Amino acid sequence: MPLLEVKNLSKAFGGVRAVDGVDFSLEQGELRSIIGPNGAGKSTLFKLLLGSIKPDKGKIWFRDRDVTRAEPHTRAHMGIGVKFQHLGVYGDLTVRHNMQLPLQHSLSGEAMDAEIARLLERLNLAGTEERRVAELAHGQRQWLAIGMALAMRPVLLLLDEPTAGMGPEETRETGSLVHSVHEEGVTIVVVEHDMAFVRQLGAPVTVLHYGRVFAEGSLAAIEDNEDVRNIYLGASRTMAVRSRRH
Amino acid sequence: MSVIQRPLALLVGPQEMGRTWYFWVGFVIVIGVGAAAPQYLGRFDLLNLANFLTSIFLALSLCLIWGFCGILSLGQAAFLGLGGYAYGVAGINFIESHGNTWAALGIGLAVPVALAAVLGFVMFYARLKGVYVAILMLVVTLLFETFLNQTAGQGWFIGDAHLGGNNGLGRFSGVIKRPPSFIFSEGGIKFLGKSYAFFYLTFGLAVLCYLGLRIMVNSKLGFVMVAIREDPERTEALGYDVRLIQLIVFCVSALLASMSGILYVSWGRFITPDVFGVYNNILPVIWVAVAGRKSLTATVIGTLVLVWMSQRLTETDYAFVVLGGILVGAMLLLPEGVITGIVDRSAGLRARLAARLRARA
Amino acid sequence: METISFIVGLLYQYADTIALLALSAIGLIIIFGMMGVINMAHGEMMMIGAYITSFSYYAGIPTALAVIFGGIGAGVAGMVLERLVIRRFYGQLLSSLVATWGLSLILSQGALLVFGQLIQSVPTPFGSFTVADLSYSYYRVFIFLVALVMIAGLWGLFRFTRFGVRARATMENPRMARALGVDTTRVYALTFGLGTMLGGFAGGLLALTSTIGPFYGMTYTPQAFITVVVGGGAEVVTGLLASVLSLGAIKTIFMNQTNILLGHVAMLVLAFVIIRLMPSGISDWVERRQVRVRER
Ligand SMILES: Nc1ncnc2c1ncn2[C@@H]1O[C@H](COP(=O)(O)OP(=O)(O)O)[C@@H](O)[C@H]1O
Ligand SMILES: [Mg+2]
Repeated sequence: MPLLEVKNLSKAFGGVRAVDGVDFSLEQGELRSIIGPNGAGKSTLFKLLLGSIKPDKGKIWFRDRDVTRAEPHTRAHMGIGVKFQHLGVYGDLTVRHNMQLPLQHSLSGEAMDAEIARLLERLNLAGTEERRVAELAHGQRQWLAIGMALAMRPVLLLLDEPTAGMGPEETRETGSLVHSVHEEGVTIVVVEHDMAFVRQLGAPVTVLHYGRVFAEGSLAAIEDNEDVRNIYLGASRTMAVRSRRH
Repeated sequence: MSVIQRPLALLVGPQEMGRTWYFWVGFVIVIGVGAAAPQYLGRFDLLNLANFLTSIFLALSLCLIWGFCGILSLGQAAFLGLGGYAYGVAGINFIESHGNTWAALGIGLAVPVALAAVLGFVMFYARLKGVYVAILMLVVTLLFETFLNQTAGQGWFIGDAHLGGNNGLGRFSGVIKRPPSFIFSEGGIKFLGKSYAFFYLTFGLAVLCYLGLRIMVNSKLGFVMVAIREDPERTEALGYDVRLIQLIVFCVSALLASMSGILYVSWGRFITPDVFGVYNNILPVIWVAVAGRKSLTATVIGTLVLVWMSQRLTETDYAFVVLGGILVGAMLLLPEGVITGIVDRSAGLRARLAARLRARA
Repeated sequence: METISFIVGLLYQYADTIALLALSAIGLIIIFGMMGVINMAHGEMMMIGAYITSFSYYAGIPTALAVIFGGIGAGVAGMVLERLVIRRFYGQLLSSLVATWGLSLILSQGALLVFGQLIQSVPTPFGSFTVADLSYSYYRVFIFLVALVMIAGLWGLFRFTRFGVRARATMENPRMARALGVDTTRVYALTFGLGTMLGGFAGGLLALTSTIGPFYGMTYTPQAFITVVVGGGAEVVTGLLASVLSLGAIKTIFMNQTNILLGHVAMLVLAFVIIRLMPSGISDWVERRQVRVRER
């Protein structure tokens, strides 16, 4: 059985079918990129996987359990770690207090401090413990958000646009971080807009379009796929038509 | 850390203003001045002050759920009123006849918490929108008012206690029994409403609740509460059952509000359905919003100032217009609250001043 | 004979309850559906409508026109408040709740200061009719019809007018609507004005059946709140209809068999049951059903 299996997953908001009959599966230890135009349903898919949104239809299995109706906190403890697209770090609190939130389930005292130091070191955030998060640069906040997901010691890590707002240098470092976490055996799915980053990851790609799986394959195959290139262009063309009609 | 150090560290944790030594010097002075009140206040003023102090629990109850957990309830008076009535009814039956104040207190606290548990379970486990929670609580409390207003008939006895319709419990003493003050048979301690003892009891409880809540908001649970306020979805992703935590905090808040009700009843020995009305619901919202909902300290100070001010104003007809104006004005100009706003701004000013001094040196 | 009078009585009561719920909630639910804001000063908008109706009536203006003035007056008051206060709280739902509650306090207490405890009430027009020995008021039936017309009108407004299209676009996705050139600020201001106008109009209509004072609106707002919670904001018209029909039914039955208080309690309990089953209100639930049916 794969680590994660999704069958016919669907979710509509009003008339918009954000996720529309998606089938998707991941083997233990895989690294996967998900791409797709804006509004393709990538973020909604992640929320369905964690359970912050419940699907209208379809099923989700994780580690051989049907988790379709399981609550998000249950899935988090089962090993699904998420960095959402919106950052969700707590700006008024210090970096240390942010890191404590995921860690205080199992650690306290010196063990906690050591773990925070270890994670921050890894995230390029060493020495920022006592800074208020609102004072950090955008890229640092992204790393903190990733770090909070990592602190849950996930089996499956979902990263929604982890390099948004980063410069090229920071983006590269994020890529190395993803690779090093992957090498530890964590299964990772990355949603990303930035094709340069997707190339750096070099992982197999799933393309979402209008809530459906449009194409799936190796990075090279997807990059050569004429239809995939068209939907990126086509999406902007339909937008233009629509706005003219109004 | 030792058993003593830990709570002390939590007391000055980052979730609440007042982390400097001069804050605590000021705190000790305020406690001293407060505790000495019977020395310099006349009987009437002292009585009045004790009554003011009962409002603090209601204000803190709203501060906790709204300011720290992000749940606005426009019907906190439901818990106050229910606590007051439950204590009053139980008191008439238990304290008068058996001298059992603990039972009456227990019932006065348990009934509102049970209501909070039921309502909270339905609302939070349905992941109801915040605005719905807010107005449903108001509807609930107004229905209690309507219900109790029509309990004047002879059928509305609970044991020896007559609910008394719009006259309330024990408003007209004589034939009908009034709710008693706290009387503890062990050692014969009485906290009659007009006594020094009652003032000290309320004062002591207010200080304890304030300090206890400071510890609570800086505990693990406190950080999770704030995380839920800022971003519930994210907090779930970090492995917390948001619904359960909201429910727990809602129950704690009901407990605090009911303390206001119980103290109020044992102070004045009566309670009427008016306690469930619009004013008792909007007043805490005004206190907390104007003072600064994200701070316990601001809430306590603001509540005392505003309660004192509205009492001054009730001699005029403008009291509520003025309070409404203060609320709207504060929301527009200092949305985080007046006291919090001033503290933040002066901290910013101090930092800038220090920076300039450093630059010059 | 007995059964006929019982059935007619029940139907009359049902129609009356529906009218009350729909009239008191319609303005509130429009504003909520569009902006997610619950206008806590809605009762005061009804109060303003009622006051203007009464003053106009005693200034010699025909009743119908007086009620319309009431609606217009409340609409203008609403637009002014929107401009001065409410606009500052868009996107902060709980703050807007608190701010509008403050306005409600100012308006009701201000009315108390200026006009006192009661103002002159307006006589109920039209007289009454008799079925099976029981007499009923024509005006109540009229109000019921007006409520239906208002709901239908609202449906038409959202469906067929340019304002309606813009409003729906704004409701569905404000950012997208802005990108497509809809002036959402204006849409919000107009919607708020429309909502308060309907509130004022309802206040004027209902004023002809009751005494009028500064807290006049507060007798209607709790029911209006329940109606909004049950209806939800996803589809204003279907939500309102489903909500008033179901709440009206339960209230009528309980009122008829017991008393008005239990009628209210039953409504509240039903509301809690419904939110347990369909947390975003009936309208959202209906909408999702529709999507599913369309898919088949
Ligand atoms: N909470 C929501 N309410 C209404 N519509 C939503 C919501 N979340 C997403 N959508 C809609 O669903 C579609 C997919 O959105 P999303 O999953 O965020 O896309 P992506 O992440 O691929 O850009 C979009 O059309 C978006 O407007
Ligand atoms: Mg996205």
